[in-house]
Amino acid sequence: MELEFFSAAFLSALFAIVLIDLVLAGDNALIIGLVARNLPKNTQNKVIFWGTFGAIAIRAAMAILVVYILAVPGFMLGGGLALVWIARKLLTPEPDAAANHLAKAPAATFAGAVRTIVIADAVMGVDNVLAIGGAAHGSILLIVLGLAISVPIIVWGSQLVIKLVDRYPSVILLGGAVLAWTAYSMIVREPLLVAWFEAHPATKLVVAILIFSISLGPWYSERLSEHMKPLVVLLPALLVWMLSFEVAASVWKVQVDYLLARDEGEYLLEGLRWLGWLPLAAGFLWLREQVVKRNARSARA
Amino acid sequence: MLLIHRSQRAANAVRTVSPGGELFVASVVICMILASFGDAVDPTWIGEAGLEFTLFDLGGEFSVLAMRHWHLLQLLLGGAALAAGITVLRIFGGAFYKVLRPAPTGGVEKVPIKL
Repeated sequence: MELEFFSAAFLSALFAIVLIDLVLAGDNALIIGLVARNLPKNTQNKVIFWGTFGAIAIRAAMAILVVYILAVPGFMLGGGLALVWIARKLLTPEPDAAANHLAKAPAATFAGAVRTIVIADAVMGVDNVLAIGGAAHGSILLIVLGLAISVPIIVWGSQLVIKLVDRYPSVILLGGAVLAWTAYSMIVREPLLVAWFEAHPATKLVVAILIFSISLGPWYSERLSEHMKPLVVLLPALLVWMLSFEVAASVWKVQVDYLLARDEGEYLLEGLRWLGWLPLAAGFLWLREQVVKRNARSARA
Repeated sequence: MLLIHRSQRAANAVRTVSPGGELFVASVVICMILASFGDAVDPTWIGEAGLEFTLFDLGGEFSVLAMRHWHLLQLLLGGAALAAGITVLRIFGGAFYKVLRPAPTGGVEKVPIKL
């Protein structure tokens, strides 16, 4: 789908790409510095140049590849689910994240240093490229603009990004919400599911709330009191329960809609759909309480 | 691994975020869910159920059903407007509640009127 240049849709997609670039940018400058720090001075400059070049080349190759991969049936769904996981990871507080670095040891040789930098960028850039591919709606122009924006960020803009998110931490939450929104739009655009969503339009709302509740769960879990925390698990689980009945109704051709049952089996199925989750939720709450009590006992001991 | 996790404040953004910023993002998320609701409901069903006025204003200029076509920038603007509205309501509601709250029974000035 080609978006009209400077239309609201184009500018919205561009804004989503910029925001995703900001919150998912990898720390390439730090990796290059870590890898090259023990090399001789003249080799260091070469490593910085070729490492940066390799990182940009691998990013461009991945971005072009992702546009074609997302057009293959099934990959839009996979990409959307991956974005939900990425948004969740983004919003999970990590006090010691700075210590978990991909490049811990300096490289001894020129080839080894460049290889480490390129592999690190490929690993760090997967989430970024996937999110940009999803937000760009298949527009090559937006992919190119996304690269033009992300390359300066990965090479020179790290301090700027850190200052921005340090001053406005809500940018991270907004980034998570935009990632969740991109994941929703990718999942409902999945070619294998488009016809099913057309036949079951109400499930789109359930999928949207499910995606937001899973993606933003870690953030709001921190806000909730201890006895309200199970809601972060129970709400998505209930939505998955409801969705699974809708899917089962399509696969096995049974009636699960409210008060539309035709025989006893379908009445039982309807009852199971609306009430069957209650014992499961009670069982989960009981189990959770037992685990909390056991942890408290072992902590005292 | 993310660049933002190098900032201690950003890595723990949930504890350092401003209430205003959080309200804005929550409002944007509400707009996004409303947009998906507009995408999910069948407009003819709304008409049959006689619920037009719950989703449309009288001029028909704003409707939850039309939000299905909203782009991200429109959702952000809508979220900003919603957050501003909630803030204004909270300020006026708080002031109203403060006036209604009875003076402390053990207070020296039972009726807080100064002449």
